[in-house]
Amino acid sequence: MNNSLAVVLIASGVAYGTPLLFAALGELLAERSGVLNLGVEGMMLVGAVMGFWADESFHVPTGIALALAIVVAALAGAVMAAVHAFLVITLRANQIVSGLALTIFAGAAGLSSYLGNDLQLSDKPARHAFGPLLPKALQNLPVVGPILLGQNILVYISWILVVGIGLYLTRTRPGLNVRAVGEAPSAADTMGINVTAYRYAHTLVGGALAGVGGATITLALTPQWVSGITGGSGWIAVALVIFAFWRPGLCLVGAYFFGALQAVAPELQARSISLGPTVLWTNSLPYLMTVLVLVVAASGTARRRLGAPGALGTAYVREAR
Amino acid sequence: MRVGIEQRLDRPRWLVVAVPVGSVVAAFVLAAIVLAVTGHNPVSTYKQLFEAGFLQQGSLTQTLTVATPLAFTGLAAAAAFRMKLYNIGAEGQMYMGTIVGAGAGLYFGGRGGPSVFVIGAMVIGGCLGGAGWALIPGVLRAFFNASEILTSLLLNYVAGLLLTYLIFESESYWRQTTGFNATVFPTSKPLPGSAIWPKWVLGLQGGLTVPLGAFLAVLCAALLWVAYRRTRFGFEVQVAGDSERAARYAGVRLRRKVLAVMALSGAIAGAGGASYVGDFSHALDGDPNGLQKLGYGYTGIVVAALGRYNPVAVVVIAFLLGGLENAGNTLQGVDFPAGLVGVVQGIILFSVLGGELLTRYRLRVTWRQHAPKPAPAPEAAA
Amino acid sequence: MPTTGPSVPAAGPAVVMRGITKRFPGVVANDHVDFEASPGEVHALLGENGAGKTTLCQVLSGLYRADEGEISVLGRPAAFGSPRDAIDAGVCMVHQHFHLVGRFTVAENLVLGDRRGAGRRFRIHPDAVDSQVRRLGERYRLPVDPRARVWQLSVGEQQRVEILKALYQDARVLILDEPTAVLTPEEADGLFVTLRDIAGEGRTVIFISHKLNEVKAVSDRVTVLRGGRNVGTVRAKDVTPRSLATLMVGRELEGPRTPARERARGEVLLDISGLWAEGDRGFPALKGVSLQVRAGEVVAVAGVAGNGQRELAETIAGVRPPTKGEVRVGAAVLKGGDPRSAFAAGVRYIPEDRLGTGVSPNLSVAMNLELRSFRRTSFGPLLRLRRMREGAQKAIAEFDIRAAAPETQAAHLSGGNVQKVVIAREFAGDLKVLVAASPTRGLDVAAVAMVHSYLLEAAASGAAVLLLSEDLGEVMALNDRIAVMYEGRLSEVADRGSLEEIAMRMAGGHPEDGQPDREPLEV
Repeated sequence: MNNSLAVVLIASGVAYGTPLLFAALGELLAERSGVLNLGVEGMMLVGAVMGFWADESFHVPTGIALALAIVVAALAGAVMAAVHAFLVITLRANQIVSGLALTIFAGAAGLSSYLGNDLQLSDKPARHAFGPLLPKALQNLPVVGPILLGQNILVYISWILVVGIGLYLTRTRPGLNVRAVGEAPSAADTMGINVTAYRYAHTLVGGALAGVGGATITLALTPQWVSGITGGSGWIAVALVIFAFWRPGLCLVGAYFFGALQAVAPELQARSISLGPTVLWTNSLPYLMTVLVLVVAASGTARRRLGAPGALGTAYVREAR
Repeated sequence: MRVGIEQRLDRPRWLVVAVPVGSVVAAFVLAAIVLAVTGHNPVSTYKQLFEAGFLQQGSLTQTLTVATPLAFTGLAAAAAFRMKLYNIGAEGQMYMGTIVGAGAGLYFGGRGGPSVFVIGAMVIGGCLGGAGWALIPGVLRAFFNASEILTSLLLNYVAGLLLTYLIFESESYWRQTTGFNATVFPTSKPLPGSAIWPKWVLGLQGGLTVPLGAFLAVLCAALLWVAYRRTRFGFEVQVAGDSERAARYAGVRLRRKVLAVMALSGAIAGAGGASYVGDFSHALDGDPNGLQKLGYGYTGIVVAALGRYNPVAVVVIAFLLGGLENAGNTLQGVDFPAGLVGVVQGIILFSVLGGELLTRYRLRVTWRQHAPKPAPAPEAAA
Repeated sequence: MPTTGPSVPAAGPAVVMRGITKRFPGVVANDHVDFEASPGEVHALLGENGAGKTTLCQVLSGLYRADEGEISVLGRPAAFGSPRDAIDAGVCMVHQHFHLVGRFTVAENLVLGDRRGAGRRFRIHPDAVDSQVRRLGERYRLPVDPRARVWQLSVGEQQRVEILKALYQDARVLILDEPTAVLTPEEADGLFVTLRDIAGEGRTVIFISHKLNEVKAVSDRVTVLRGGRNVGTVRAKDVTPRSLATLMVGRELEGPRTPARERARGEVLLDISGLWAEGDRGFPALKGVSLQVRAGEVVAVAGVAGNGQRELAETIAGVRPPTKGEVRVGAAVLKGGDPRSAFAAGVRYIPEDRLGTGVSPNLSVAMNLELRSFRRTSFGPLLRLRRMREGAQKAIAEFDIRAAAPETQAAHLSGGNVQKVVIAREFAGDLKVLVAASPTRGLDVAAVAMVHSYLLEAAASGAAVLLLSEDLGEVMALNDRIAVMYEGRLSEVADRGSLEEIAMRMAGGHPEDGQPDREPLEV
C-alpha cells in the first residue's frame, strides 16, 4: 500500500515541497513588510552551496555538522538578502530590477557556481545527509508512515514555522507592526514604528529561510551539489506566495502541490514507466501549473481582501522634515 | 549629524555620465575584493580578462559572437522595461526564435530558394516565434492582470524543455534522422548553405569577422530608438510607462499597448534567436548544455539596465559585456572559476542601481544640535 | 449647535509656540508665528488656502521640524523629531489624508504603536482590545465596530476612527485638519458635539478651517493666519463671520455675489441623459444623471466628495465607460469610454488628480502640453519634435508657466504651474465643453484666482462649462446654475442663492420633505 503511486507522490510531494515551503515562507515575510525580493532563486542557490560546503568542511558528528550546515546556509541567504535590502530600502532602488540583479549575481551563472567551483564541491555526494527522524516502525505504518512520519527533521521544522509565522502575523505586536509597515508605511511611521528596521529584519530573515530552503535540496532531497540545482524553484516560491494570498497555511498546501508535480517525472522514470511524447508535458507541468495558478489568483474577486500588501514593491520615503 | 536625502530638482549633465562611470569603477573595486578574499590576484585577473576579451588575436571575433545575441536580448528587455513591462522571458523567446528560425531555414533552404529570401524568411520566422511566445504573458497581463514577470520567466523553462525535446526526445523536423552518427547520438539537422548567414572579414586583429546578425542588431537599435523617441507609438509607450492614469486620459489603449510592446520585445529576442542559428550554430541547438547554459536572455537584462534602456547604449554595453563573457569562457579553468563573470556582472548592476540614487537625489549632511530651551513665559497672543 | 464658552479652567496654556518659521524651497510657509492654546478650549486656526495653517500644525505634531522657534506643550519644552515624539507628549493630529491601514480592523488600527493600552504586550488578545475600543467609543459617543475593516467604512466613519485613535493614545492636544471637508453638514454638527465633549474633559482641540460659520460656531478662540503670519487671535463670541473674513483676507469683502452675469446663453452644448456608470469598486456610482449645459453657461455641481462627481467628470471625458445613458456634444453622441472621441468632439477635461492624471509626472512639459493632441499634430506616425518644442515655448510664455525649459519634468513644477500646463493644453484648439473637477484644490490664492478667471473666460468665449467642486465658496462665486450631487444622483437647486437648500441637498434631503433621508450614523 505504501508503494502505491498516490502515496509515493504525496510523500515525495512533501519532500520536494519543503525547499519551496522554506523559500516561500521567507518571501512571504519580506513581502508582508513591503519588500518584493525576486532574488529567491539566487539566495537559495547560495544557501544550497554554502550549506553543502559547511557539511563537507566541519569534521564533527553528523547531527552537529548538519545543524551547522543549516546555520551557515541561513547566514549565506541572509547576506544575499542584505544586499537587496540595502539597495531597495536605503538606496530606494527599483525592487524588481534589484531582485533580478540578485538572481544574476548569486544564481546559476554567478556566485553560487563560482563558490561551487572554487571550493570544489561538484560531483560528490554529501558527507552527511538528513534522513527520516522517527523510528522505522512508525515509518512503516500504512499511508501516514511515508507521508507524515517518514520525513526528515527539516520537514517538521517547516511545519513549526508555518504555525509560528501564522501566529506571529496575527497574534503578536511585532506581527501587527510588520503588516502595517507593508500595508501603509506612513501610518506605521506616524505611530513610531521603525519602517526601515522592520523591512531590513524581515528581508534578512526571508533570505535566511531561502538559504535553508536551498540547503534542504543539497542536504536532504538530492544530497549533492550541482550548479543551478534549484532549477527554478526560487521562482516557483515567489509565485507560491501570490497563490497563497500571503498566508503561511496556504503556502504549505501550494508547496506540497508543486512538490508533487515536480516529483511526477522522476517517480515515473524510477518505475520505468515510459513517458514517450508526454515527457515534455510532464516536465513542463510545474511551470505551466504555476502560470495557471497566477492567472487564477490575479483575476480572483477576493483581491481586495486577500491581495498583495498595499505598499509591496515601493520604497518608503519619509517626507522631508 | 543627520544625513538627509532630498530630491534633485535639476539633473546636471555631468552627473548623467559621471554616475554610471563611477558605478562601474566601484563595481570593479568590489569585485576585486571578492577575488582577493577567495584567493585570486585581482590585478592579474582583470588584465587577463581584458586581454582575452578584447586584445588577443581573434578575441574580438569571439567577443562579437557573444555580443550579438546579447545586443538582441538587451534590446528586447529595454523595449519592454521602457513601459515598465518586466518581460524577463527574452531567454525563452530567443529559444522560440531559434526553433522557428531554424525551421524556416531548413524548409526554405531545402527547397533551393535564393539565399536572401531564405535569410529573410528566417528573420521573419524568428521574430514571429519570439513574438508569439511573448504574447502569452502579454495576453495574461492585459486580460487577466497576471504578473508578466513570473509568467514570462516560467515560460523560459518550458521553452527550454521544448528545445531539448525537439532534438533529444522526439523525431522532429529539426532532428537528423539519417546517417550513421544520428543513430548513435541524437543530432540536429544542419542548415543548407543558402540558410547560413554571411560574414564580413575586416583587416583588424588579423581578420575580424563581423556576422550579419551584428549589423542587424545595430539596425534594430536604430529603429527602436526612432520608434520610442520620434513616433506616436513611442509617445504613448512613454506615457503608459510613466502613469497609467495619465495614459488613459490621453486616450492610450493600454491593453493594446501591452500586447504590442510584449510582441515587439519578443520579436527582437526572436530575431536574436534566428541570428544565433544562422550566424553561429547553423542548426537547432537543443543541447541542455548549449544555448540554454549561456543565459543570454538573463544577461540581456543586465545589458538593458546598464544602458538605462537606451537602445544605442544597449548596443555599446552588449559589446563590453560580451567581451567580459567571452574572456570568462576563454579563461575558464582551474585558476579562473566559472561563475566569476556572473559575479562581476551582478556587482556592476548593483553599483549602477545604487548609483542611480545619486542622479535622482542629493545627499545632504547637516550638523545641528538639538538643545531644547525652556519656552519663555506664555503671554496672550495678539 | 453646542453652546460655546470657556470650560474647565486650567493652570497654564497647553500649547505655546514662539516665533515658528518653516521654509520650503521657494516658500516661507510660516513666518515667525506665535500661537498658544489653553486646556479645555476649542481653538480654531483660520486662514485661506496656503496661509500656513497645516504647516504650523505639522510642526506642532512632529511631522516637520521648524527652522526657527520654540514649542512647549503642557509646560514642558518640546523638540519633536517625529510624530511619535509628539504623541508621547500628548499631541495627536488627524490629517486630511488619514493615516489608517485600510486592510486592518478598527481595533488593529487603534492598537498600532500602542504603548499603554491593551495592545502594548507582545501577545495581542483580540477580545481585550475589542472591548477597550468599544468602551472608548461609547464614552465619546463615537460608536464603532472594532472588528470592521477600515476600507469598508465611509469617510466620516474613518475620521471617527482617527479621532478615537488619538483618544486611545490619551491625546491632551488634538489637532484636526479641515475635518468637515469630507462631511455632510449634518455629520459636521455631530463632530462639533464630540469636539466640545473632548474639550470639556480639559483637553485642547485645535481645529483648522477656512469656513467662517463653523469656526464661529464651534470654537472658543480663533487664530487667523494670513500669508504665513499670525494676524490675530480673537474670542469667537466677540466677532462676526464678516469681521473674521476681513481679518482672513486682509481687506473688506465685496457684498454677496451678484446674481446671473450678463452673458449670452446659446444652444445646449452638453446634453447628458440617464447616465449610469460604475465606480472603481464595481458598484454603481452614477445612477441616472441627466443634465444640460448651454453655451456660455457655468453649471456648478456641489457635493461632498465621493458622491459620484469624479465618475461623472470621467464619464463625460470618456475615461470611464457608461453602463447606460449617453452624452451628446451638440448633435453628436459621444462614444462611451473613448477619450479620443470625446476630445475630438471638443470636450476638454481638467481632472481632479492633477499630477498623475492631468500630467504625466516624469515626462517633459513639452510632451505634457501635447498629451492629448499629439495624434493630430504628428506627421503620420512621426512626431514633430521641433514644432512641439516651439509650441511649448509659446505656451510657457502665454500662460506664464514657471518652468526652466520645455524639457523640464512636470513633477518639478509647483501645483499652480502644473495646473497651468493642464489649462494651456485643454484650452488649445476647439473648446466646446469644459469639465473641471476640483480645479483649485490645494492651490494658493493667486493660482485659484487664475483658474477661476480661465473658467469664466471659457464660458465667455461660448463654451459650456461644468464645474465640480466641494468648495461651496467657489460654487457660489462662479455659477450660473447650481446642481448638487448626492449618492450618484444629481438634483438642481431652484434658488441658487440659498445656501440652506444646497446644504440640505448635500445631505440627501429635499426642501419639500423637510427631512433628510439619510441613514442613521450608527455602524
